[in-house]
This record gives sequence, C-alpha cells and structure tokens, in this order.
Amino acid sequence: MTHASPSLRVRVGSLTLRNPVLVASGIIGYGQEYERLVDLSQIGGIVTKTVTRHARAGNPPPRVVETAAGMLNSIGIENPGLEGFLEIKVPVLRELPCAVIVSVEGEDVQEFCDLVEGVSGSGVAHAIEVNISCPNVGPHGLRYSTDADMAREVMSAIRPLTQLPLIAKLTPNVTRIADIAAACEACGADAVSLVNTFVGMAVDSRTRKPILGTVVGGLSGPAIKPLALAKVWEVVQAVDVPVIGMGGITHPRDAIEFLLVGSTAVQVGTALFSNPELAEACVKEIESYARRAEVPSVADLIGALDVPAERGMIRAGRTLAPR
Amino acid sequence: MNLVGCSVVENREIAPGNFLLTLKVPRGFARPEPGQFVHLRVSPESEPLLRRPYSLEGFVERGKIRAVRIYYSVVGRGSRVLASQPKGQELDLIGPLGVGFTPRPRRTSVLVAGGRGVAPLLFFARKLREKKRPFLFLFGARSSRELYGVREIRGGRIHLATDDGSVGYHGSVLDLLKRQWESGEHTPLTAEIFTCGPHGLLHEVAEFAAGRGIRCEASLEGPMACAVGACRGCPVPLLPGAGGNGGRYPAMCIEGPVMDATIVDWERLP
Repeated sequence: MTHASPSLRVRVGSLTLRNPVLVASGIIGYGQEYERLVDLSQIGGIVTKTVTRHARAGNPPPRVVETAAGMLNSIGIENPGLEGFLEIKVPVLRELPCAVIVSVEGEDVQEFCDLVEGVSGSGVAHAIEVNISCPNVGPHGLRYSTDADMAREVMSAIRPLTQLPLIAKLTPNVTRIADIAAACEACGADAVSLVNTFVGMAVDSRTRKPILGTVVGGLSGPAIKPLALAKVWEVVQAVDVPVIGMGGITHPRDAIEFLLVGSTAVQVGTALFSNPELAEACVKEIESYARRAEVPSVADLIGALDVPAERGMIRAGRTLAPR
Repeated sequence: MNLVGCSVVENREIAPGNFLLTLKVPRGFARPEPGQFVHLRVSPESEPLLRRPYSLEGFVERGKIRAVRIYYSVVGRGSRVLASQPKGQELDLIGPLGVGFTPRPRRTSVLVAGGRGVAPLLFFARKLREKKRPFLFLFGARSSRELYGVREIRGGRIHLATDDGSVGYHGSVLDLLKRQWESGEHTPLTAEIFTCGPHGLLHEVAEFAAGRGIRCEASLEGPMACAVGACRGCPVPLLPGAGGNGGRYPAMCIEGPVMDATIVDWERLP
C-alpha cells in the first residue's frame, strides 16, 4: 500500500504545525528580510530573532567567521527590545503565512516574565521559544541552561503567565543536557529545542589575535551535526514532551536524520544563508521519504531509528514512536 | 533582489592572483547600481559553507543576454574555490544587494581607487560618463600590473599612482588626492569623493575629507552570512557623534556597502 500524500502535520503542545520544518532563531530575522528568498507558505514556521527586554546594539565586529564546515558567530542578540518588537516587528509578523514562534531572552527572571507577558499579549506568537542558551550575551548568557535549578526557576516563573506553548531552547555546552531538559519539562515546558551553538573560538596566528570581536562565539553549521544528533538522542530518552532538533542541517536528508532520532520538528539554520531554499527542500524530502516508507504520517518517522534494543536505553513504559 | 542561477562565461586571470569573472544572469535579474553587490555561491558543493559578497565591476546587456562582472583577488578559501570554476559552471547568486554610490547633482565626482577596490568605481565611472557628469579618476596600485581597467575609462581625467613607481606618480593615491585638492580646482561645494580599496586607505581618505568638509562615500568590505539584513553579522562601527560607542551598528549589507565615510569608526572596523 502506498499513501498518496502522507500527513506532515505535527503537534508541539497545543500548536499544530503544517509540517515539521522551522527556520531557527537568528537566521531569518523576523521573516520579512527573507520574504523574496524563502516561500514561508511552504514551511512549518519561523522562530524570530531573539527579543530581549531592552534594545541591544549587539557585539563589536567581527561577528562572524567561517571555519571548517562551520561558522562561528558572536552577534550578541542585536534586537530592538520588547517595546521596539511590539511596535515595529509585530505588524510584520502578523502578515506571515506560517507559524510564528517568538524567541525571548531575559537577563533575569523578571525580564523573562515581562517578555513572555508582552509577547503573549501581542497575539502574534503561536508559541514562545525561551532562549536560555545564548553563548554571546555576557556573564548571564549561558547561566540559565547550564544549571538545572536556574532553568527550573525561569520556567516555573513564566509558565503561569501564558497559554502559549513554551519551548525551552537548550545549550549543548553542558555535561548532561538531559537533566536540563527534564528540569524544563517538570516546570511546564511544552517542548524543548536543541541544540544552540557550541562555544568555539578562531585564532589568527599571523596577527596573534582572536578573530571574533568577543574572542569566543558559537559554532554552527554542518560541523556540529553529529554532536547535535547525539544531544537530541540523549534528550528524547529523558523527556516525554516533543523535542525540536537542530544543528548543522545542510542537506534535506539531514532533516530526516533528526526526525528518526526522535525530533518532532526540526529547525534549519546556518546553511539557509547559503541555500535559502533549504527549508522548503527539507519539507519536500520529508514528504517523499514518508511516501517511500509507506507511512500515513510523518509522526510515524519520529523516533523510528532502528537501534539494537541493548543500545536503545528506552525508558520503561515509553515508546519513541509514534508520539 | 532575487536568488538567481548564473553561469560562468569567463573567469580569467588578468594579473597574477587577480581574476575577471563574467556571470550570465537571467533576464529577470534587476539592473544593478554601481556600488551594489551580489552574494555569490562560489561552488555548487557545500564547501565553502557561506556565500561570498562581491561588488560588481560592471553589468553587461547585449540583446537578450545579461551578465554581471566581478573583479576579484585570490585572498582566501572562497576566492580560491571561485578561481577554479571553469567556463560553463552553473552557480547561483543573490542580488543585486545593498546601497550603491549616490552622487549629488552638479558636482564633480572624485573617484579614489586602491588596488582591486577599483572594481565598483569602474562601474561607477561608466555610469557617470553615460550621464555626462564630470569626474576625476585617481587610481593607486602596487605596480602597473595591477592597474586593471584603466584603459577602459572614458569621459573623465585619470591620474595614476604606483607604490613602485612603475607608472604614474611614485607614491600613494592619497598623495595624489591631496595634490589634486591643493591645486584649488575643487571645493567641498563643487566636488565630492567616492572611494574603495583597503580599509587603511579608506580611513585616510575619510580623514582627509572630514578635515576639509568634503562629502565622501566609501565602499566597505567584510564577511557576511545572510547579506539581507537578517543575521546582523556585518556590523559597521560608527564614530561617537554618529551613534557610535556601540549604540548602533548599521548592517554593512543593507545600509552599505557604500556608506558616508566620515561617520565610520575606521579604528574599530576590521
């Protein structure tokens, strides 16, 4: 039996995405910047550039450098702040023909609360991605997602403030990412997304200087895909909420790998700069893969990795697929 | 601005390490302005990962054929890969992008080019000639071998400078500019400067212009990821009076690459 058109719909909390392909935060701005290059009506949605409580000018240059099969960035969350976002960006986002997930980051718990209330009240967001994992914003940057207690503190504070699905975005720069994911789940996260960038550094031996203006930054791109897959694999075994996987998706088949490992949805990032049609191509590849696999729904692919039982480490009472 | 397929018509080494690339683009490609750039995928493979931004040296329309020209030097991984692309190779590019040169009416344009920075200024000089506007072209390079395009310039006066004295003035193009200005022929009300080249040269030209109240635009260069204003990866530091001190960083890709040279904080621009 072949299924003429497998269903691509997936659910993240109360949000139903028409397909599991999103564009990651920091890649596509607020959608408008890429409107002539990406057909947003074909993809599941976008995650906005992270919004902070107050406007940020971002880090001094250089902010990006290409490395072997990757890119280091140190943007520093340049954004117009919550008020600027509500005034300038919300009207733009309202017109987008796809789900809008707004990424927020606070410097303390109160700022996270202000942001969640503000974004929730704007009516434009279909979900909120809680960025507790940016490596490029000073001392507080990685605090909330490298410490399970602090992640708990943020998630418990914001959970009562919105009905919208809350997606905790996690850093891979920890010893046990599963512990942080479980802490977020226990405090009401509807999903977790991972990975944010890996802390990295590039050096110019000729000038004896670091290349990035902030010395260290975050590594993305195909170089991190195997690392990201392993983190996703670790987390899907630790939580029951949906996992949104990302990290180095460069070819459409990479998106399939993240689904098989257990991601309910995927986010496309750095490689979109080179290939603006990548997100749409991932959707097509997922559809065609599901058709070839003769499954009625993409949900049947999520966590469908064929792993020897003794390697699976699947928790008692839980199956990986379908969710 | 669009993502379009393109194919290599010619990719020729015209001086050691310096290439002239002609890319055929589809008819739907918008006519670019001098100073604008394209974000080029230098290989059909996924390495290098990012596109490379190149200012245009020219835009060719012959009948139904449209092509963009890029003059580049092999300086790193991206340009090395680009130099290996043969005639007929299919690539793609995003463009035209960014803000080009914006001359004011009734002024003489003084073009100050350093090395391969001559590329967008050659395009600009052709446009000025078309519009029958007066210009002066000052071009400095290390040696006569690097004075690309100088024979093609028509419609304006040309002065050359070389570091090795192999042709023209023996010295820097900045000195040429100073000598021209000291002749008293131009004033800030009658002339303005457009410059492109190494950032060190642009810094000096900008200081010269700022010190005399001359309007001066410079075409900047730097790494870019998205090139459409989304990623904020190409910030231009500004002087304190111009919103600097980290208060605001315009994105080179959409507020540049041509910018008012007198507000750029050149010390902090890589």
